[in-house]
Amino acid sequence: MPGSSTSISKIQAGGGRITLSSHGGKAWISEFSATYPLKLLSPRLSDNTVAIVYVLTYGGGLVGGDCIELTVNVESDTKLLLLSQGSTKVFKDRPQQRLASVQRSDYASRSTPGQAPATLQIMNFTVSSQAALFLLPDPVTCFRSASYSQIQTFRASKDATLVILDWITSGRKSLGEDWVLSRYYSVNEVLIAGKRVAKDVMLLENNEFNSDSRLNRSLAEKLSPFACYATVILRGPLVEETIAQLTTRYGGISIMQRKAPEDLLWSLSSIGSDKENGVVVRVAGKETEMVKDWLKNTLRSLEQHIGVDVYRRAFV
Amino acid sequence: MDDETFLLLLLSDSNLPTGSFVASSGFESYIKHGFGGDQNNRTTIFMRDSISAYARSALAFVSDTHRIVQDVRRDVEQGSEQKSDLDSYLQKIKEVDELYDAMTLNDVTKRASKSQGVALLTLYSKGLTPPLAFTGVKNRKETEIEVNSYMTSLVSQYKSLVRAESAPGHLPICWGILTGALGLTSERSQYLHIFLHARSLLSASVRLNEIGPYNAQQTLLHISRSVIEAEVVRCKDLRTGIPSSTGTESDQPDGVDDKSRGPANTWPLGEILAARHDLQHSRIFNS
Repeated sequence: MPGSSTSISKIQAGGGRITLSSHGGKAWISEFSATYPLKLLSPRLSDNTVAIVYVLTYGGGLVGGDCIELTVNVESDTKLLLLSQGSTKVFKDRPQQRLASVQRSDYASRSTPGQAPATLQIMNFTVSSQAALFLLPDPVTCFRSASYSQIQTFRASKDATLVILDWITSGRKSLGEDWVLSRYYSVNEVLIAGKRVAKDVMLLENNEFNSDSRLNRSLAEKLSPFACYATVILRGPLVEETIAQLTTRYGGISIMQRKAPEDLLWSLSSIGSDKENGVVVRVAGKETEMVKDWLKNTLRSLEQHIGVDVYRRAFV
Repeated sequence: MDDETFLLLLLSDSNLPTGSFVASSGFESYIKHGFGGDQNNRTTIFMRDSISAYARSALAFVSDTHRIVQDVRRDVEQGSEQKSDLDSYLQKIKEVDELYDAMTLNDVTKRASKSQGVALLTLYSKGLTPPLAFTGVKNRKETEIEVNSYMTSLVSQYKSLVRAESAPGHLPICWGILTGALGLTSERSQYLHIFLHARSLLSASVRLNEIGPYNAQQTLLHISRSVIEAEVVRCKDLRTGIPSSTGTESDQPDGVDDKSRGPANTWPLGEILAARHDLQHSRIFNS
């Protein structure tokens, strides 16, 4: 695929495009655009093979009706680290619509009458041969009654590396929010050389059980005692070492009868039956900080591929 | 007694060789890791969360597979030319099967699902087709004989695909094949599948010394029932999103409009504990 697009694609409110290309051994951002309320920042780095992009929203959060759609191309021999600045906060709604000068997407114009429109974030990633994508955002926090959907699709070459982190926290502790969101829906779909190998769909809902209130289980009860749940998808040449370390660690765990749950739990499973397809790690912790520290330590071997200074920016 | 009722009785037999005896659906791991509080409520709490999570993740696959098998039946009964193209139906089933595999990112669950799945296909081939020497009921219609012959062929060919590791052979898909081949309605197939999940769980609970055998029956009759009903009703119209053979595109569950129509994992805690089953120092179940 050629480096930069010859035509500027039409983007709607909340739309964005990032393309990282390689030229003469250096990575440079050949396409970089975002419309309100999406905002992208890319700091200059001393390392020329890797680029960082911060994906932000004006106001530091998303509200009902917001639709973010980001297209990311990580071209051959480049490495892209995508971060956020602070947790993505999802609010239920606000009295007035956001004012945007760009045409609202189809989605936002269509909403169920009588219902606060949900928030939607769509990301499409293409990761080419010998390229690497490190998606390490802060966790999503859905506030009371928020409704949020996130659909992330990753199309990668056989020798591409993917590190995909998707995590959520229980709410604002200061307000006593403990999984009181209305709906959280997140899809991470991974296609390698055109073939779907993984599709992780998480749906968290607080809904009413019609007949017997005695059997009604709230989200807080189902997820207790953990305040943070994370999923990490790892595959590709640059994470072979990380995967090997995880596999060894996991194999060494031996559980005896416990009286109460541990503070942090994690599980490891393979994707598909082919080793090339990578692994899925799931982590749950009583506090977000615990999960963050665990992730930071577990993924530390990425430092050898993106550098200590760059890695330090993740899990701040 | 009508055919369907007799089939239901037969399929509910706890002696049915389905391989579910060694599966606790993550309950053993749940207890070992210290969840559920004290023993009094543990089984009910776990059952509630487990049935809800399983129905949401699996039922769409049961119904979509069942529908494909029903399409074969319809084609045979109508004498349509498509009936001879079993291959295309097998490919459709395989697609549904592979989607379930891609959506179930849990080694322990996949292992248990595959072993129970192939057990169901074997059950059909060896236990539910008419015996070779059987001359058959005199009044049996010719179409019925023909349908059965296609079903037998479909099941055995799919089982070959599974044995050749060309298709995963997961439990919800194989249950859809089995019940479709037997002529059970979709509603009954879905309900029975969830009922058996609940029953198996309670049986595991008894063997784990969590509840006594009488208590288990009491729970099944008076508590599980409303949970099963509610979850089946909630999930019966879910679709996997793979177009059916009728040529109409099913709703895309991930379309911007329609994010509530597809399978999903709704209990991440259950997922982690089920995946960690093998980490237990000692255990009596396989999953």
